[in-house]
Amino acid sequence: MVSTVVSPALVGLDTATVQVEVDLRAGLPAFSVVGLPDAAVSEARERVRSGVLNQGFAVPARRIVANLAPADLRKSGPQYDLPIALAMLAASGQIPAGCLAGVGAVGELALDGGVRGVPGVLAMAEHAARRGWRRLVVPAPNGPEGALAAGEVEIVPAATLRDAAEALAGTRPVVRPAMPTFDAPSDDARGPDLTEVRGQQAARRALEVAAAGFHSLLMIGPPGGGKTMLARRLPALLPPLAVAEAIAVTRIHSVAGLIDPGRPLVVRRPFRAPHHSISVAGLVGGGRTPRPGEVTLAHLGVLFLDEVCAFAPSVLDALRQPLEQGVIDVVRGNTAARFPARPLLVCAGNPCPCGHDGDPGRRCVCPPGRAEAYRARLSGPVADRLDLRVDVPRLDRDELLGGAAPESSAVVAARVRQAIARRVARGQVIPNAYLGPTAAREAAALDRRGLGLLGRAVDRLALSARGVDRILRVARTVADLDGAEGVGDAHLLEAIALRAPAGPEGS
Amino acid sequence: MTARPVPSRVGEAGLGLALVADLLGRDLQRAARAAGSPAALWALDAAGMARLLRLDAEDAARLAGWDRRAALTAARVHLQEHGATLVGAAGAPAAPPRLGAIYDPPLALFAEGDWRVAAARMAESPVIAVVGSRRPSAAGRAFARELAAALTARGALVVSGLALGVDAAAHEGALDAGGHTVAVLGAGLAHGYPRANAHLRARIRRAGCLLSEYWLDTPPAPWRFPARNRIVAGLAHAVVVVEAGARSGALITADFALEAGRPVLAVPGAPWSDGSEGCNALIRAGAALCCGVDDVVAEVAHPGWRDDAAVPAELPEGFPAEVHARLREAPRRVDELAGALGRDAASVSAALALLEMDGHVLRGEGQRYWATPRAAR
Repeated sequence: MVSTVVSPALVGLDTATVQVEVDLRAGLPAFSVVGLPDAAVSEARERVRSGVLNQGFAVPARRIVANLAPADLRKSGPQYDLPIALAMLAASGQIPAGCLAGVGAVGELALDGGVRGVPGVLAMAEHAARRGWRRLVVPAPNGPEGALAAGEVEIVPAATLRDAAEALAGTRPVVRPAMPTFDAPSDDARGPDLTEVRGQQAARRALEVAAAGFHSLLMIGPPGGGKTMLARRLPALLPPLAVAEAIAVTRIHSVAGLIDPGRPLVVRRPFRAPHHSISVAGLVGGGRTPRPGEVTLAHLGVLFLDEVCAFAPSVLDALRQPLEQGVIDVVRGNTAARFPARPLLVCAGNPCPCGHDGDPGRRCVCPPGRAEAYRARLSGPVADRLDLRVDVPRLDRDELLGGAAPESSAVVAARVRQAIARRVARGQVIPNAYLGPTAAREAAALDRRGLGLLGRAVDRLALSARGVDRILRVARTVADLDGAEGVGDAHLLEAIALRAPAGPEGS
Repeated sequence: MTARPVPSRVGEAGLGLALVADLLGRDLQRAARAAGSPAALWALDAAGMARLLRLDAEDAARLAGWDRRAALTAARVHLQEHGATLVGAAGAPAAPPRLGAIYDPPLALFAEGDWRVAAARMAESPVIAVVGSRRPSAAGRAFARELAAALTARGALVVSGLALGVDAAAHEGALDAGGHTVAVLGAGLAHGYPRANAHLRARIRRAGCLLSEYWLDTPPAPWRFPARNRIVAGLAHAVVVVEAGARSGALITADFALEAGRPVLAVPGAPWSDGSEGCNALIRAGAALCCGVDDVVAEVAHPGWRDDAAVPAELPEGFPAEVHARLREAPRRVDELAGALGRDAASVSAALALLEMDGHVLRGEGQRYWATPRAAR
């Protein structure tokens, strides 16, 4: 007697259908799992056996074979425990054989038969809806996340194996999971506020421009200047995520297993700050079953690379594709996965290896040439990905203690929202940072004077074509912030002042 | 090798001794003086050289096993392949007699780039060495560049040592002003040292030339840089030290110049600035003060000086002029300027961009903007 239930499998952020078949054959009692399982899947035998028994069901005294098809897809993780158990119950007649038709299931079993949460339920529920499955049994903690999937599929949350069995058999009503509400994050949930940053007028302005145009930013300054403090305050300056964006971010974080069950929908823009010892796979994604990397986890949020010169050049180099195309393709063996990756990149670095070059209070102890070599490293693979550059000096005592109360994040965020509203009113949907060369020239059309000014900048500052495009995009954002129709001299000049350092082939 | 070499073509002794110096990894100047002349040293056989150089057994054996005919032939091929010439050899003009007048003239000089033009310029123009710290302040670097550009505009040829910092800035200034420049290296020409200046080397090769007394493949060594400085001083009519700490190698160049009886000028620094201690010590010891190109012209009597000085770009009017005036008082950060002038960071940044574009201000240490020091006076 063979029973079958389907289960969604994750391939990166994509999904595939796995048929879970359980056959009971005559022979000495045994239990085997076949179909390219990894160690966690093979161990399902022990969890299923205990879970089934501890929920008051019987494990048939037969030769039990569970097959996961297609056999060429690598199955990993404990998420097949629940479907195997359900198929076994159906095969042995402990639940009606017909109740698994059109039903998918996913979940890890505890030894007592409880169902534990698994990553990626949102993507799986969307898969179920696309494939027209009638019902999808998910672990109770993942219920609200599954409910986010648009479509006809009925999400059946199960706290235990018995819950799942009875809900499918129709002997117990299905409690639909609560749909998570889309609340904009409250003020205390928006993260740290800009009022806590003293002084640093220039850097605050650069953050504002970065937020308004989604421009990548490089901050240079000695340790203790507040680069990290500033970067952490950037997500709160960005406009709140739209519903579709929040679901996209939630899908990624769900696959990475980062969802807080209490807050199944991610409404805050992510802020990711990987340490500089990170590997290429850690940054852009990878692994035998591809997992999203930091650049994907920061999708639509902020990716902060502190001490950017300390990252391995190969790691920074791997950022090229995601920063240019907004996606990253990870190919491992016979699996290929595509992850979205559109973070706002913020890099921070010291002016020299010891960090104190030019700091009036300290002495730089770097030997001659070291600081130049260090800066050359900075202008390597990342530099031509950066739109803005700002200096973040260490403040002296008066600036730290005195001065007027700084503006709050809410005030700056309001200006950013207005700038974005103006951009949308111009009929431009994408942020200024994503404008192509032609579009940038149109959006930031210059008058004769402006063209003359730009021409002079090209001559005197040795700007390349790419550098000019970047300046035009930033000038458009500055004009948006200013509420101006066209790009004026002052906007252009500020964009020139904010320009990032030259890349390897000129800026 | 027992046969005495045939009396040679021009430069053979120099080339040969450069090869021997490279083979043994040592300096042959003293041995050449002991032998009477470089040619006399080269005329000795291996045993004679080993005796004079007090070589140990191992080095003596190495020298005895060295086939000088074959090595010379190979070296000439190598020179040609590298596009380098031996100064003073057939078809290549000799170094200016000034260089021979120093205590310890080089035994040989290899040139890469346009040696013919450089030699002609050295014969007819004032030659000014601009040297200084390898780690200057942004203002010092800018001043070196401005001074070299102004000197070039006035008809001088700028010589320096292609080190990082002031040396590189001086070469750049001369090239940016459309002139030639000569760089004297402390390693063989094929060595590409310092690597950070590779781009500058290529520019100098096109407009000027690179010189070295060492055989092409000789690696850099700490003692070779002071030795290089005597050639920089020897080629120049005067030496200008732009920024030098108390123990800077630029002071060695100044010492060599004084020894050869050539004027030394120093750019003064504030007494609280460590970076200029060496310059101030030179002034205290009698060096001339250099605040601009006119000071150099006044110190070096030469018919080659021209009058046309470079005219700096005009200062923009209005708010940018206010910003510039503040920066002339002291270097300041954007925030400080914004506070002092009562404007927001955005408009200060815009004004600075305008000033920076025309070279009126520069980004310097401590994330401060500086008013560019002017040397065209």
